[in-house]
Amino acid sequence: MSKSEVITKKKKKLSGADIAFYTFNTIFMAVFVIVTLYPVLNTLAISFNDGLDALRGGIYLIPRKFSIKSYVTVLKKDDLLVGAYISVARTIVGTLLSLVTCAILAFIVSRKNFLFARHLSLFWVITMYVNGGMIPIFLLYKGLHLTNTFWVYVIPGMVSAFNMLVIRTYMNGIPDSFEESAQLDGAGYTTIFLKIISPLCKPVYATIALFVAVYQWNSWFDVMLYNRMSNKLTTLQYELMKLLASVTSQSTSAQSMKNSTSSITPVSMRAAATIVTMLPIVCIYPFLQQYFVSGLTLGGVKE
Amino acid sequence: MKKRVISMLLATLMVGGALAGCSKGNAGGGATASEDGGSAGDGKVKEFTAFFSVPHAEINDDNEIQQIIAEKTGAKVKETWLTGQTAEEAVGTLIAGGEYPDFVDAGDGSVQMYEAGALVALDDYLDSGNYPNIKEFFTDQEWDSLRQSDGKIYWIPQFSNIYGEERVCAHNDEAFWIQTRVLKEAGYPKVETMDEYFALIEDYYEKHPTMEDGTPIIPYTILCEDWRYFCLENAPQFLDGYPNDGSVIVDTDTMKIVDYNTTDTAVKYFKKLNEEYKKGIVDKESFTQTYDEYIAKLSTGCVLGMIDQWWDFAYTAGDALKAAGLDKQGCQYVPLPITIDKGMKNQWHNSGGIVHTSSGLAITTSCKDVEGALKFVDDLLSQEIMDLRFWGVKDVDYQVGEDGMYSKTQEMRDNDADTAYKASHKCEYAYFPQWEGTSRDGKNAMKPEQQETEFYDGLSDDLKECFNAYGVKTYVEMLGTTPAPGPWYPMYTFSQTMTTATPGGTAWRSMEDCKHQYLPKVVMADDFEAGWKEYMDAYNACKPEDFLSEMQTELDRRVAEAAKYEN
Amino acid sequence: MAQQKKDKLSNIPKAELVKQLKRQWVLIVWSIFFVAYGLLFYYAPLVGWLMGFQQYKPKDGILHSKWIGLAKFKSLFSDATYLGVIRNTLAMGVINLIATTIMAILFAILLNEIVGVKKKKVVQTISYLPHFLSWIIVTGILHDALSGSGIVNELLLKFHIVPQAINFFAHEEYFWPIVAFANVWKETGWNAIIYLAAITAIDPSLYEAAAIDGAGRWDKIRYVTIPGIKSTIIILLIMNVGNVLNAGFEIQYLLGNGLVQRVSQTIDIYVLKWGISQMDYSLGTAAGIFKSAVSIVLILICNEVAKRHGEERLF
Repeated sequence: MSKSEVITKKKKKLSGADIAFYTFNTIFMAVFVIVTLYPVLNTLAISFNDGLDALRGGIYLIPRKFSIKSYVTVLKKDDLLVGAYISVARTIVGTLLSLVTCAILAFIVSRKNFLFARHLSLFWVITMYVNGGMIPIFLLYKGLHLTNTFWVYVIPGMVSAFNMLVIRTYMNGIPDSFEESAQLDGAGYTTIFLKIISPLCKPVYATIALFVAVYQWNSWFDVMLYNRMSNKLTTLQYELMKLLASVTSQSTSAQSMKNSTSSITPVSMRAAATIVTMLPIVCIYPFLQQYFVSGLTLGGVKE
Repeated sequence: MKKRVISMLLATLMVGGALAGCSKGNAGGGATASEDGGSAGDGKVKEFTAFFSVPHAEINDDNEIQQIIAEKTGAKVKETWLTGQTAEEAVGTLIAGGEYPDFVDAGDGSVQMYEAGALVALDDYLDSGNYPNIKEFFTDQEWDSLRQSDGKIYWIPQFSNIYGEERVCAHNDEAFWIQTRVLKEAGYPKVETMDEYFALIEDYYEKHPTMEDGTPIIPYTILCEDWRYFCLENAPQFLDGYPNDGSVIVDTDTMKIVDYNTTDTAVKYFKKLNEEYKKGIVDKESFTQTYDEYIAKLSTGCVLGMIDQWWDFAYTAGDALKAAGLDKQGCQYVPLPITIDKGMKNQWHNSGGIVHTSSGLAITTSCKDVEGALKFVDDLLSQEIMDLRFWGVKDVDYQVGEDGMYSKTQEMRDNDADTAYKASHKCEYAYFPQWEGTSRDGKNAMKPEQQETEFYDGLSDDLKECFNAYGVKTYVEMLGTTPAPGPWYPMYTFSQTMTTATPGGTAWRSMEDCKHQYLPKVVMADDFEAGWKEYMDAYNACKPEDFLSEMQTELDRRVAEAAKYEN
Repeated sequence: MAQQKKDKLSNIPKAELVKQLKRQWVLIVWSIFFVAYGLLFYYAPLVGWLMGFQQYKPKDGILHSKWIGLAKFKSLFSDATYLGVIRNTLAMGVINLIATTIMAILFAILLNEIVGVKKKKVVQTISYLPHFLSWIIVTGILHDALSGSGIVNELLLKFHIVPQAINFFAHEEYFWPIVAFANVWKETGWNAIIYLAAITAIDPSLYEAAAIDGAGRWDKIRYVTIPGIKSTIIILLIMNVGNVLNAGFEIQYLLGNGLVQRVSQTIDIYVLKWGISQMDYSLGTAAGIFKSAVSIVLILICNEVAKRHGEERLF
């Protein structure tokens, strides 16, 4: 069934209640779009405004004093290229590793007759709610020689219980008959995972890939903690964070601020940096989006 | 079509895999390079690393002046600053990891660094005579005040150290500020008390409720966001004619600690604010505004007066006012010497340097070339490098007149305010030791903002007119100045280091919390007396006496320490 | 059926067990890998919890710091402020959880009802963008909108709903709703993505069958869409219930002020103020252990409830 058919079919069947529903829905979505688009447009407007002028506030959708200087400053930042390169690398490698491992784990724990499925689930669920703290974790990574390497970005946190549970829930929704018939044909678990289950899980894989990719792309705290001294391993986000240094310098004292007066970042630069980091994600988004935003006819296990 | 997308995705992923493969190689290289490049000193220019536990703007790697300094001194330092962490967290991870940069300023965590054995004792190096510029930086008494529990010196405080004659133009501290147009309208009267100050503002507001462009005027606002609430809280010490000891008043007659939060002056001050709040003079949003909003208000020129520290608004709102041409409407601020009663001596401004004993630049045990590192610090204090750090490059950042005086053209001044230019060109090594005061040539100031002629030339006409009317040439002269009251000064260098480990520290933390919560309520109270009483009850529950007694002990210790040098 | 699988290991005859294990060897090998990984990266750092029972000093490390038993926990719970802080955290956690979950589900379902894939994609893309803005930007805009001359007060005054502008940030009663709104605003589109993915798994023939039965849009949502994503909803709900004590730090820090301090402080803010910024690392660890304990108890309860009702559960 093609999309246009669905649409014409729907149009034929509109009842009074349905018209009311669609009207409500349209209004709801319109309000929603305006409310969520506003902060983004506002940030865009501020980013294209002159820095000193932007301090005065009162900029809404259109820059008051147009200037691309904030972007020039942001893009001229040192190590931005190295940072972008590492950011892309960690996003791709991290997403791949995380997606593959979480999918395998989810596959294992979603096998209904697997003896240790529940135990393994519980083992992982607990990891979501316990945290050893910054210092022990730092010491662990150092002991494993992960600090000052690229791998500290992608190996810890690679398997995440949250992602696993989301995939597992989706896999649980797949009728058992698929696995059973494959087993009758003599397929092992590897084949079932690769050939039967995974193709059906594209929407949830895309979702998790997006989550991990965005997480990797936005990460900067691990860069600062573990690779502060390795210039070649810096990321785009970390470089921009340094530029924005003091934006929320919690619990600073008057004394330390007094001696670092140059530490205040113009709001326009903050906005420009936000836009710069947002753009790449927004650009690759449509490729992933089609897997979880679709017409009623797309998707579904029977595909 | 779907297939195509998938194959595209796969292709990207594969390219990504290849990329990652390369980056692995890079990663390894990068890590080792920085590990042994740190302090071993490869080739001619030694490269050191430094970490400062304060937020600060970074400079570029190919920064021009940093390059010049590297050529002259044979060394450069890659500085990193606090990002997204608190100083304490950063210090905690540093110590746990046991690997440090060559230089460090751990701020309030300095003692922890010392206790963990992370710092190098500097005594032997200082006594070797190889570092005359560092040695000269403090007097023996000052060096002694830096000794830790084992009797050795571990860090060098970087700031507020005056060479030769003191040179100040800007009042970098707290004051009641007022726009020049308010003073002009009233014919530049002498303003001494809070009543006079608010009367001026009220009169002006009555005649001009809006700006030229129709923006409503905010007569008086108070910044109260998080730690910046000191603008509201510590005024009573100044109103009583005491200097900025920060956390307490030191009564110089009895040498006793006095709590400025509970004095009669404090009551009068907050009562006055309460009255003005009811009259609608104090901004209704004072206590809920963020720092950004506060700066925005100041930048539009619509705030007639406020109490604040200069550095807290001058480099943001001050610059924005000028950029918008509002200096021509008399929207710039000047400080007023206000006290609680007429004819009192005020100490809003103190002359003389301050040794912040609690923290400073230190060298860590990870540094493989301590002598080289100290040599670099020594070089940074030489006059040539001081000029490079703060004035910049001759004929590019400043010019030298026939009389040997340094000055700047307007273009040079504009460059100074340009973030991108600063990052690519200027290199102050801002958290390394530095001099204030007069250059070794005996004419110029160490830093451009302290050069009187340069300062005066950079002023707008309105400010010049205002200064002329009062017969002064600088902000400091608006207030007058007194030398620091005694060798203990300032007490805040002690209260800053207090933690909840002692009862006094716990009380101090509670008092801060209490003031932050209740002072806004006091100012907004319908019934001031009741509001004040409620505040005092909560305040006394914090056990301020614990705090005050620890402060008294420290004061006694400092006084006794100083007495040793008197003979 | 699922319920009877309990105690499977002990109930199965030995021969059967061996046979099962043989068939499942791939799964077991992988399990060993995942357990090893989990032990190394998630459980090993828990050694750090010892700090909660010590007066931890960086110079001594975990090995040599002084043991103080439960003193840190005692000092936490004997402080009246801290009890208020737990209340705030819990209240904001629960309000946020309810508000964001309902909004995300509602949005996902309604988005799915938009006719036309292109329109749907555009709306969805816009909805998730605020996720990329930092809290400082979002709270800045919020401050603007709610200020005395902001758009909200302007509208309220225009329609004579209030006699004079409200200073929203000065009143304790507005603080929690503002925080909830900010969370909804920033994260609804992002949170909805999981539900959207779940909706794609619903068998289209169910909608067709419903249509033949004469179901309208509302009925289809009620009888097809919601049951179709129920397991996802339940799993996410249980997981997030475990996170109610992580109500946040930054947003309360950025929106709070002295006047609303009583209701704005969360556990994380308290720990920063009284622990970390006082060089007291142990207090934070103690608070962290407390949070973990509460979280695990909460998810155990939720999981049991889900199990009783025969719903999807965490483990």
